[in-house]
Amino acid sequence: MLKIWNMKQKQQQAETAASGGKKKKVTAAQLRVQKDLSELSLGSTMKTEFPNPDDILNFTLTIEPDEGMYKGGSFHFTFAINQNFPHDPPKVKCTQKIYHPNIDLEGNVCLNILREDWKPVLNLNAVIVGLQFLFLEPNASDPLNKEAAEDLKSNREGFKRNVRQSMTGGSVKGQSYERVQK
Amino acid sequence: MAEVLQKNGVSAPRARWKHLDKILTRPGPFTDEDWVPGEDVIEGLSRTKILVIGAGGLGCEILKSLALSGFKDIHVIDMDTIDVSNLNRQFLFRHSDVGQPKATIAAKFVERRVPGVKITPFVGKIQDKDEDYYRQFTMVVCGLDSIEARRWINSTLVDMVDEDDPDSLKPLIDGGTEGFKGQARVILPTMTSCIECQLDMHAPRAAVPLCTLATIPRQPQHCIEWAHIIKWEEERKDVTLDTDDPEHITWLYQKALSRAKEFNIEGVTYSMTQGVVKNIIPAIASTNAIVAASCCNEAFKIATNTNPPLGLPGGNNYMMYSGDDSIYTYTFEHLKKDDCPVCGNVAKKLEVNGDMTLESFLESMAEKPEAQLKKPSIRSEEKTLYYQSPPSLEEQTRPNLKKELSELLENGEEVVVTDPAFQISFKFKLLFK
Amino acid sequence: MIETTPPPLQGPTSKEKKYDRQLRLWAASGQAALEDAHILLVNSGSGVLGVETLKNLVLPGIGNFTILDSSVVSEADLGINFFLEEDSLGGFRAEHTCKLLKELNPDVQGHFIAEPIESFITKEKPLDPYTLILVAAPIDPEILTKITLHAQATQKPVFYFHNVGFYSHFSIYLSHVFPIVDTHPDSATTSDLRLLKPWPGLLEFMTKKTTDLEQMSDHDHGHIPYVLLILYYLEKWKGDHDGKVPRNYKEKIAFRDQVRQGARTHTAEGGEENYDEAIAAVLKSLNPPSASSAVKEVFKSEECKLLAKDSPSFWVVANAISQFYEERGELPLPGSVPDMKAQSADYIQLQNVYKSKAREDFTDVVSRVRRLEDKLGRTVPVADKEIEAFCKNADHIKLICGRPFHIARAGEKVRWNERAKVAASMLENRESLIHLYIAFLAYDIFTNSHDADALGGAPLAPGEQDLQLDGEKMAGIAYKIVDDLLTEANKFLEGEEYDTVKSRTKQFVEEIVRAGGAELHNIATLSGGLIAQEVIKAVTKQYVPVDNTCMFDGVVSKMEVLRL
Repeated sequence: MLKIWNMKQKQQQAETAASGGKKKKVTAAQLRVQKDLSELSLGSTMKTEFPNPDDILNFTLTIEPDEGMYKGGSFHFTFAINQNFPHDPPKVKCTQKIYHPNIDLEGNVCLNILREDWKPVLNLNAVIVGLQFLFLEPNASDPLNKEAAEDLKSNREGFKRNVRQSMTGGSVKGQSYERVQK
Repeated sequence: MAEVLQKNGVSAPRARWKHLDKILTRPGPFTDEDWVPGEDVIEGLSRTKILVIGAGGLGCEILKSLALSGFKDIHVIDMDTIDVSNLNRQFLFRHSDVGQPKATIAAKFVERRVPGVKITPFVGKIQDKDEDYYRQFTMVVCGLDSIEARRWINSTLVDMVDEDDPDSLKPLIDGGTEGFKGQARVILPTMTSCIECQLDMHAPRAAVPLCTLATIPRQPQHCIEWAHIIKWEEERKDVTLDTDDPEHITWLYQKALSRAKEFNIEGVTYSMTQGVVKNIIPAIASTNAIVAASCCNEAFKIATNTNPPLGLPGGNNYMMYSGDDSIYTYTFEHLKKDDCPVCGNVAKKLEVNGDMTLESFLESMAEKPEAQLKKPSIRSEEKTLYYQSPPSLEEQTRPNLKKELSELLENGEEVVVTDPAFQISFKFKLLFK
Repeated sequence: MIETTPPPLQGPTSKEKKYDRQLRLWAASGQAALEDAHILLVNSGSGVLGVETLKNLVLPGIGNFTILDSSVVSEADLGINFFLEEDSLGGFRAEHTCKLLKELNPDVQGHFIAEPIESFITKEKPLDPYTLILVAAPIDPEILTKITLHAQATQKPVFYFHNVGFYSHFSIYLSHVFPIVDTHPDSATTSDLRLLKPWPGLLEFMTKKTTDLEQMSDHDHGHIPYVLLILYYLEKWKGDHDGKVPRNYKEKIAFRDQVRQGARTHTAEGGEENYDEAIAAVLKSLNPPSASSAVKEVFKSEECKLLAKDSPSFWVVANAISQFYEERGELPLPGSVPDMKAQSADYIQLQNVYKSKAREDFTDVVSRVRRLEDKLGRTVPVADKEIEAFCKNADHIKLICGRPFHIARAGEKVRWNERAKVAASMLENRESLIHLYIAFLAYDIFTNSHDADALGGAPLAPGEQDLQLDGEKMAGIAYKIVDDLLTEANKFLEGEEYDTVKSRTKQFVEEIVRAGGAELHNIATLSGGLIAQEVIKAVTKQYVPVDNTCMFDGVVSKMEVLRL
């Protein structure tokens, strides 16, 4: 054991802090999220809210599209990040019941980088950009909400009407949706 | 009988350790020139206090091997209880032990089998213990299946290193297995590549797009994941899924099976359902033996200097093992990463006035030559002190700028400062003058 | 969705629960083979490695084991063997290790024989009850010869191993020819899609699914399985290239560009996943369906060509498949299709197209097997299941031709025969562990000529008593083995090269002598894991076993497999 320490002393090292009792230290996940947050570019259509500002691993994101079919809506997502971030992707759910081909009625979101294409090098900004994109370009192939996807595929104008209808809190094909207008 | 015992030298005090003592009392062609074998080595080994994290497949083997390698003071942490599916490899447990805590049963068994060894169990999480606890050990051996736990102990041990105190450096020896494959690695915190540097060695779990599960399932696994991720929440939202509850697995299995029928997909079984939902990794006694013994061999070499261990700076620190197609090992040096968020920047001591405001502290950071931060964000483990971005968080944390450091932090607490202009982050331990 | 009646619960049995984590590796068939096996351990020396090996076989549920060991438990045994306790002192080691091993798994039958091997081996067919034999060094070379001759005559696997200090070694003789069908190849490298040689049914399905490709809706276009896309563009390519498929790298790249140009880019994602998959698959999937050289080797072997009435069923099936291959220029289709972007129904249909062709090929092979059986006058037909497994994995079967391992004797040269050239060339590799192997051969010669009491009793290990003298003797023996090997291989080494070989050999020798015959528990545990794993492979005939010698160096944590 002694020998290793000799090597350690030979290594050029910056001055490190004295061991100071059982002080808690910033976790690797917190550290990474802090970095990601500082690189976030939200623009005018998105904002975050931290119910507890000391807990940066849990927050909500609101997207208010200023163009496209979902313009005028205000959509809320919860972000839950675990201590294994960035090995594990963040868990993202929509908190409202909305009419969207890629978001199901439980709030599950179909976005590749949240599951199969997640890599630790991706950051929170990439996820947020991806979410925003879903409202500009809803994708009818391989949907989570099949009815909405069918509508989008077969009748784009009808789909647009349904989106407006659902956003005011109305029903589409017997399914009622939450009012999400600003 | 008496004659037999005589002949085998039962009267000699270390007759039992005849084999071990050959190695402890003789130099070899690879031992250090200034290494002095004999009494001191034997004494040093028996005084080494070693911590084993995990009392599962690897842990059982590690405890046994350490006890029969001359370690006398062993501690073991595990939060789990014994399950019947452990019995095909976790050989310190019997059918009658099912439901009992692993750490306690394993410790008792090895103590009984190897007299003179003391094994102290702790049933709980590694996060329940603080630096004071980890400081008592000479080194730590990990037999874990969780990446999260590995990262936690790694960063804890890295942060404990104190330049002025040789005892603060705790070698970390880590093993892992999957089926016929495994690895053993040695980490000297802050000196060589750490678990965080090596995070890319753990392949992320393969995932299938949610939309495939929802609309175009093609494989039996897709049907199971659909039941697991989508159907459960739709129908049993209020029940927390317990993957050890047979009723829950059966429910998922039946949902998956009927979905598979609907799409003409073959192959959904109960066992596959369990495997997918619990993310079961195949595990066998032989691979555990190989990896655990390799870890203990390194621990033994570190504790005794009887031969050079893996993990010395500039040397190999990682052994990859694969046994499904003949036998293959690759032993190499995994290089330390300069920008590693854990060991790339060890916290620096910084003396400050406790009555300084956070705002003036951040301004002083901008002036520090090594930092020169433009838009610093700063936090402690418990508090988000001040973030420049996103705007809502900036607004929420702005009041802290006017507060004094001593209001926000305890003396000696660690803070992390990041700045978009820098790849790495800065850690400081703030000591109040 | 119509609610179907819930299917009956097929929960796991208690055995399936206990063995769950291993059944996921070798399935019920492998487990059954383990349960049919009876392992004999011929133990000697301090005997830890053999017992550790058995531990890893008792836990997964080997049927029977027997320990043959006439030693009496000493104090020193307790410091190194986990399967002995205070109460065992003075008793027979075979009995006590057997008892404590049995505690690990109530499903396993354990037996012991405390008789000396010297008298045991002279009995009437003493080795017949066992299906696999493990032999620990040191052992009298005459007895080891008897055991290996028995193994060769009965075609049963035998293992011989050393464990000294930081080093271990084991050699395996599996049997003269040891075929493995269930090799568990890496699934990423194994799909055989026959894209260059599609059968009419597959082309028909492709044509049906790609009609009016250009006019398709984005949704349909983005869901054509990539296999069909490649086939579609291949047909187009052939039309422009005199009916020839892309043959070389350059043409494949050009073909890949052609596929890429077919992808639509105005979609929401800016591309199409199925096209991405097709593009990624071009280079690795456009290969002619010819058999691998290992498989051709099997077809060419004597056993395959010259079938006898009592040939093992493997060879009957191999012969039938070689006929199939000769006639068709391809192996039977495995029939599995990797997952790919597609509509559920299309994918299932595609799967069925492959499955039904695989079924046809299988039926063809079965009828060939039956004709062979008639011709040979065999009474017990090969099970359909076995033929099917062979067809499914035909391109990945593996044949290991067992070679008897060295039995080194005092006063006799070690013969390397046809492996001499290879072994001699390895001597110059400074990373190779051949030098360690030679040190172990020297160990055997030393123990063969030294007794603990100089009265022909237990063998004496080098370094047990006189470190200095034994070190010199051992080095002398090892150098002679090196010299003999060089002579046999007709290889000349001199000067620095020769000195390097000698000094590396000497280091291994010194480290072995340092241990004085002592085992380290860690090294025994590790090597016991390795050997148990190889026993499992040999017994289940799954995965690929070591061929035929494995060394472990615990000083640097490296293993090496040598074919000697």
